[in-house]
Amino acid sequence: MRVGFAGMTHLGVNSAAAALARGFEVVGYDPDRDAIAGLQRSEPNIVEPGLPEVLQQHAGQARFTVDIADLSACDLVYIASDVPTDDAGASDLSGIRKLIDAVSAVLGQHAMLVVLCQVPPGFTRALALPRERLFYQVETLVFGQAVERAMHPERIILGCADPAATRPRALEEFLSAFACPILPMRYESAELAKIAINCCLVSSLSVANTLAELCESLGAAWSEIVPALRLDRRIGQHAYLAPGLGIAGGNLERDLATVCRFADEHGTDAGVVRAWMANSRHRRDWALNELHARVLSKLKDPVIAVLGLAYKQDTRSTKNSPSLALLAQLGLFRVRVFDPVVPASEAAHPRCHAATSELDACEGADALAIMTPWAQFGRLDPSQIARRLRGRLLLDPYAVLKASACRAAGLDYRTLGLRAGT
Amino acid sequence: MITHLSAAPQTPERVVLLGAHGFIGAALRRLLDNRQIPNLALTSADLDISEVSAAEKLAALLRPGDAAVMLAALTPDKGRDIAALMKNLTMMQNVCAAIGKVGSAHFVYFSSDAVYSASDALVTEETPPSPPDLYGAMHHTREIMARGLSKVPVLVLRPTLIYGLDDTHNSYGPNRFRRAAQKDGRITLFGGGEETRDHIHVDDVAALTLRCLLHRSTGTLNAVTGTSHSFHRVAEIVARQFKTTVEIVKTPRANPVTHRHYAITAAIKAFPDIRFTGLEEGVARVHREMLGKR
Repeated sequence: MRVGFAGMTHLGVNSAAAALARGFEVVGYDPDRDAIAGLQRSEPNIVEPGLPEVLQQHAGQARFTVDIADLSACDLVYIASDVPTDDAGASDLSGIRKLIDAVSAVLGQHAMLVVLCQVPPGFTRALALPRERLFYQVETLVFGQAVERAMHPERIILGCADPAATRPRALEEFLSAFACPILPMRYESAELAKIAINCCLVSSLSVANTLAELCESLGAAWSEIVPALRLDRRIGQHAYLAPGLGIAGGNLERDLATVCRFADEHGTDAGVVRAWMANSRHRRDWALNELHARVLSKLKDPVIAVLGLAYKQDTRSTKNSPSLALLAQLGLFRVRVFDPVVPASEAAHPRCHAATSELDACEGADALAIMTPWAQFGRLDPSQIARRLRGRLLLDPYAVLKASACRAAGLDYRTLGLRAGT
Repeated sequence: MITHLSAAPQTPERVVLLGAHGFIGAALRRLLDNRQIPNLALTSADLDISEVSAAEKLAALLRPGDAAVMLAALTPDKGRDIAALMKNLTMMQNVCAAIGKVGSAHFVYFSSDAVYSASDALVTEETPPSPPDLYGAMHHTREIMARGLSKVPVLVLRPTLIYGLDDTHNSYGPNRFRRAAQKDGRITLFGGGEETRDHIHVDDVAALTLRCLLHRSTGTLNAVTGTSHSFHRVAEIVARQFKTTVEIVKTPRANPVTHRHYAITAAIKAFPDIRFTGLEEGVARVHREMLGKR
């Protein structure tokens, strides 16, 4: 059986890799010649742990192409391009619509079309395609864990015209290969299920951020509270309970914006969603506020070291990155920046030194802010950091370093969810 | 959140102060004079902007290159009733008419944090105004009137409780505490003084305003320090300035405790090197100024 994926962005490439790993022949289409050439060499232009290895291992099953007609031989074609969003989180669906039209024109007579992109409720049913061959599947990829999650989904949520109908053979064969529960439901339910999942995640994050901030004033330690929550069956081991610098990456923001838009249209209450968004904006500026209180308002021409530019570890995506948001506010000051994947030039900062390493970034700086929790930052020796820094302030919002070791090195260590010095 | 129309600081051709005789106006005028920035300081004795002909008279005084700063208002100590509201709105009507006619280069309107609901404990510039009384409603209405000047860049400043030597309002806080301690050796609190509030020194308000004038900033900005203290703590700080013992007296609480904090991220983003005087330092400075004036 041959499975096609149209759109070789993050979603499409990782989904195609999972299909390859499950033993299927895959056709990956994208009009971007550079992206396709890279995939033909098993060198994707996105960063995901394990992705190049999977592509390389299964290269014999894969055909990456810029010719959309190559999809005509597929039994099943996924529309798998990422949907861009604007600054307000609103989706631009024009590209997806064009892609669907183009794929529909070459789709085999009996082939299935599955929309895998992030689309709002009502999108799939409105497509002018035969309902019995049209499906919507919820993607739940996570940047930095995309291959793992694509290969081992907890469940498959499938939007159908008739959830009670027998699924087409090719689709059933493909989905069954993932050995997980399949939840058929009407299109709109599946589309909203995706949003519901993200709302639950943001809800947990907002709880973590709200109470972690309170911990910083009350002397409690959020890290001590988290294990208690995880052992509560109503919350769970995998709940999103790590405080952070607001919501980033684009996907969660998109779904919150979609809920607000629909709620406004239909007159339902979305106040809590807007509160999550406000809380996200509030926490995103934690590092700026700390830097201002302790360095920017006190020193003349201070130098700030920033480790990390990506919005999270194990990705090169900088969409709504807290680090870039911070650097955008530090235009007056000299900064020294290092990220293992994202070049410093993406900061577009007028007084930026592109450091060659973490410790090079620290050299002579008055403060260090670790803005992305890359694993390699956690292996830094606090005493080496202290030796390189001119000042003592270390902002480590994601707690990649040990507070005790940093304090032992003489650093003024500050993190989310913990009062300084405790 | 404010936007700078001049990325680099540029001295305005002239700053026109409306309400220059007041507490903030006088501080701002001192600062402008110190920086040798041309200014025209108008007081109510020079021009009564509540008069029918005030718009025309003011327009005759203004030039297109001016940055006008509107500080004039009947404050709550001079009336909280409908008559005060209407007079304040008339003043603003005249000022807006004059500025709109001349097309000033910049208009700074001094509003107040009274536009926010008393129940909002954490406030930013994004907090929706919800004035609890006519005074707050007056400032909110005046803000809307100012923003209606379509061709003039408008900045709205919303100061919180301001303290300083020359304060005339004597509102509950550092100013009244200092005077009470000096006169009676006693500071009387509402309840135990548990409420937390932000207090900003008048010179910091003037300095913030000057920064905004130099950058032709537009939008809305709270003039606050970002640090709140309980009134009991304020009383303790004031009491410490005196060589003699100052008694801090608690009274039965008549109203529920409310708190007010400000996030100053917008100010930091606008002016990353901005610094506000700490309350201890500010109160001590005012006390020294008071002793020097005796």
